[in-house]
Amino acid sequence: MPRTLALSTVLAALSIASQLFGQAQSVASLGATPDLTGVYESIPGGTKLPGGFRNSGSPTEIQLTPSAREKMRTVNLKDDPWKQCKPVGQFRMMARDNTVMEILPAGSLIFIIFEDFTHGFMRKLYFNRGHEQRSMVASDPAIPVTKLIWFGDSIAHWEKDTLVIDAVDFNDRTWLNDSGAQHSEALHTVERIRPIRGGQFLEYKMTAEDPQALAKPYTYVRYFKKIDRELEDDNCIEEQ
Amino acid sequence: MLKPSGVMIWIALLPAAAAAQSGPSTDWTGYYMMARGKDLAGLNVIGSNLGTTVAEHLQPWAKLKRESIDGAVDDNGFICKPAGFLRAYGSPFDTNGYFVLGRERLTIIYWPTDTVLFRRIFFNAEHPRNLKPSWNGHSIGHWEGDTLVVDTIGFNDRTWLEGLGAPHTEDTHLTERMRQIQHNGNTYIEVVAQVEDARALTSPYTFSRYYKKQNFEMEDYVCNDAVDFYKEWRKEAIEHKKAAATK
Repeated sequence: MPRTLALSTVLAALSIASQLFGQAQSVASLGATPDLTGVYESIPGGTKLPGGFRNSGSPTEIQLTPSAREKMRTVNLKDDPWKQCKPVGQFRMMARDNTVMEILPAGSLIFIIFEDFTHGFMRKLYFNRGHEQRSMVASDPAIPVTKLIWFGDSIAHWEKDTLVIDAVDFNDRTWLNDSGAQHSEALHTVERIRPIRGGQFLEYKMTAEDPQALAKPYTYVRYFKKIDRELEDDNCIEEQ
Repeated sequence: MLKPSGVMIWIALLPAAAAAQSGPSTDWTGYYMMARGKDLAGLNVIGSNLGTTVAEHLQPWAKLKRESIDGAVDDNGFICKPAGFLRAYGSPFDTNGYFVLGRERLTIIYWPTDTVLFRRIFFNAEHPRNLKPSWNGHSIGHWEGDTLVVDTIGFNDRTWLEGLGAPHTEDTHLTERMRQIQHNGNTYIEVVAQVEDARALTSPYTFSRYYKKQNFEMEDYVCNDAVDFYKEWRKEAIEHKKAAATK
């Protein structure tokens, strides 16, 4: 075979292969759910994004039941989990300015890892199972698995381009805001996360309900910007 | 019937060539626990007692420092502070991990996460210049067939080489060869590692570890949840040590 013909055959093969792969990719992306992989930082309150998007609501605006109001009045602010370098729970963590988190899909679950690890810790969002199917096996027999956990049991599913997370089974050790509003073990959160502006930003909508603590369900909205860096070591407890 | 042409052969070969460069033929993603007991039968475990292995390679100053360590007083991990993964290779309970294999990196989320933390092994990357020392250093990796060859530097000097306080310096250099294997019907990650540190070790040492894939979830565990208890324990240990010194 003449050399030029051989070369043209190779180039043709590469071109066809490239078109095939490109086509396969675009077809896959048409029907696929969004890939949220990346590191994101919450936009400070008051910032108006292109398209008019801006944060709304705040954990400070929640309306408490009478018993929860009474409990808040007697709380000692020194016991704030934030000040004690303990997890503060997603209702409070996600509302904060400049919260940095990594979203990491991992097969049948998605991890959300917080840069401020001590306060945010990490979330595991499970697909393909219900709350009642949660694994209760201990990795270390000396440390028993507890049903009620800091971030609740989080189950996720997609509604078109929106990741919907339903969480229950919270312990009652986190607060709902900096003023000491507490919740009960009946706390139930629903979060909706969707990419906007081509994935440059995430819209995050949090709704919390707790008949024992909240007079009515409360919703706030935050926006996160995708940033081009890795999470850094930021550990509150190390500084103690 | 369509006869295979040169073009079709090229198309068929291209994905195979790409796959050979991009990583293993199996998916590593999942929760693994350090294998112990019967799960190790038939596997080539090197340096099962990491404390003994490390002690044989320590320079005199490092041996002295290790002997002076009081676990309850000096152990960072004891009070839920970061301790890093390096020392966790010596403990069967401290290097469980969720492996997440992506195209550009392998992320390992260790358990308990608040002490052993995370690790990211970047493929086709170089160590940055002016690396800031950290608990788990900076890891880069490349694939040799189904084996991931990992090079890690940039550790701070606050971690230990094993659970009894063997010190090291910021010169520590860890090389690991990781591969997924099937053994007795189970899936494992095999890690064969070598540790070098010209300022702390008389010579490099080698060990291997096996991580067995689990079919249950990595549970939530917040070490700091019980930190008040641990802190009280440490306070008593420090007071006891002070009292013993003044006698």
